[in-house]
Amino acid sequence: MPEPLTLEMNDPEGSLRETLDEDGRSTRAQVLRRAVIGGGSIAAGGLLIGGLPELALGRPSKRQDGKILNFALLLEYLESEFYVQAVAGGALSGELLTFATTVRDHELAHVDYLKQALGGAAIARPAFDFKGTTTDATKFTATAIVLEDTGVAAYNGQGPRLRRKTLPAAASVVSVEARHAAWIRHIAGKRPAPAPLDPAKSRKQVTDAVAATGFIA
Amino acid sequence: MSLDLETLDADGALRETAAAASGDTRAAFLAKAGLLGGGLAGLAALGAPEFAGAASRKGDIAILNYALTLEYLEAAFYTEAERKGALRGELASFAIVVGGHERAHVKGLKAALGRKAVKKPTFDFQGTTEDAAKFAATAQALEDTGVSAYAGQAPRVKNDDILRAALAIHTVEARHASWIRDYNGVAPAPAGFDKPRTKKQVLAIVASTGFIV
Repeated sequence: MPEPLTLEMNDPEGSLRETLDEDGRSTRAQVLRRAVIGGGSIAAGGLLIGGLPELALGRPSKRQDGKILNFALLLEYLESEFYVQAVAGGALSGELLTFATTVRDHELAHVDYLKQALGGAAIARPAFDFKGTTTDATKFTATAIVLEDTGVAAYNGQGPRLRRKTLPAAASVVSVEARHAAWIRHIAGKRPAPAPLDPAKSRKQVTDAVAATGFIA
Repeated sequence: MSLDLETLDADGALRETAAAASGDTRAAFLAKAGLLGGGLAGLAALGAPEFAGAASRKGDIAILNYALTLEYLEAAFYTEAERKGALRGELASFAIVVGGHERAHVKGLKAALGRKAVKKPTFDFQGTTEDAAKFAATAQALEDTGVSAYAGQAPRVKNDDILRAALAIHTVEARHASWIRDYNGVAPAPAGFDKPRTKKQVLAIVASTGFIV
């Protein structure tokens, strides 16, 4: 566990309204916002994950760290719930079950860590619908590969946008995501490390990919 | 180590940095290993656009040269293992694939550093490249150490282009570590959070291997 991270972002009101204005330009944001609100989350859930143009993010700041950590929290909510349901679903066995159980616990720990860092500014957990991918071993494996590789690319994309003081926390999480990605790829018979450099994805790329899955109910 | 300070330290940055670090017990080792100092001609590594850029800060140059030394070590280890021919099956594939990645990292870091790049040290892998079991155990230790080394340095990097490159390498090292751990039958991801290591901690580990002659 890295050093506890506290952003003291307990005044989300003003910054959320600003984020709403920024996100209001994105149709994708509206889709996600509706989805998250529909899932019983507070409005903040949808606002912070919208397809915010990269240009709207300025230089590293405490406020930007908060947005990025909430984006990370959304991904960790998604991953953790995916593995919770997969383990509970009973379709996995052998190393695949070991993988799902181990990774579930890691993702839950990441959620706790990020929620603690964000305090009152943390978004609520959306409702998820994994479309049968948690109850079928083959679909589970393929989905886990995508989720973990996407998680690595998402963290790597946001790393330079964080204040350097926040980066150690992200660094200690992202390499674990990469370990998960390599592990499940290995189980699936795919090359665990497909290239000498891991790609980075922008928030919009990741958010679009997540939206395309339809996993956020 | 046959590195010569005069050759390495064209602009005196190395001796200046070494002097500044003289309170550090590892300063002598660092200077000997050529890990301090340098300058930067430009980043043009791996053909990746995010690696293109320039850095001029001494801190970033020192970090890049430190990373280069670790990558030299890893690349030489896998290249020698491949050449010795003692590995079979998946272990041989692992050495070939990972060796290719580490050589690419070396190439990239050298290109980034230009004339300021430290030279490749001489290595003695103490028989670990010609025995499958020793190779697998050593690869695991090297990769896990590499992950912790990049995590320890990333927050210290000033230039964003260099940081992007470091992050892109960092997670690939983690993939290597996970791969060889799974092969070895140990947990690929042993904890929810990976621990960073300081340069001092990493260099102490490297020194303890005796791999750098």
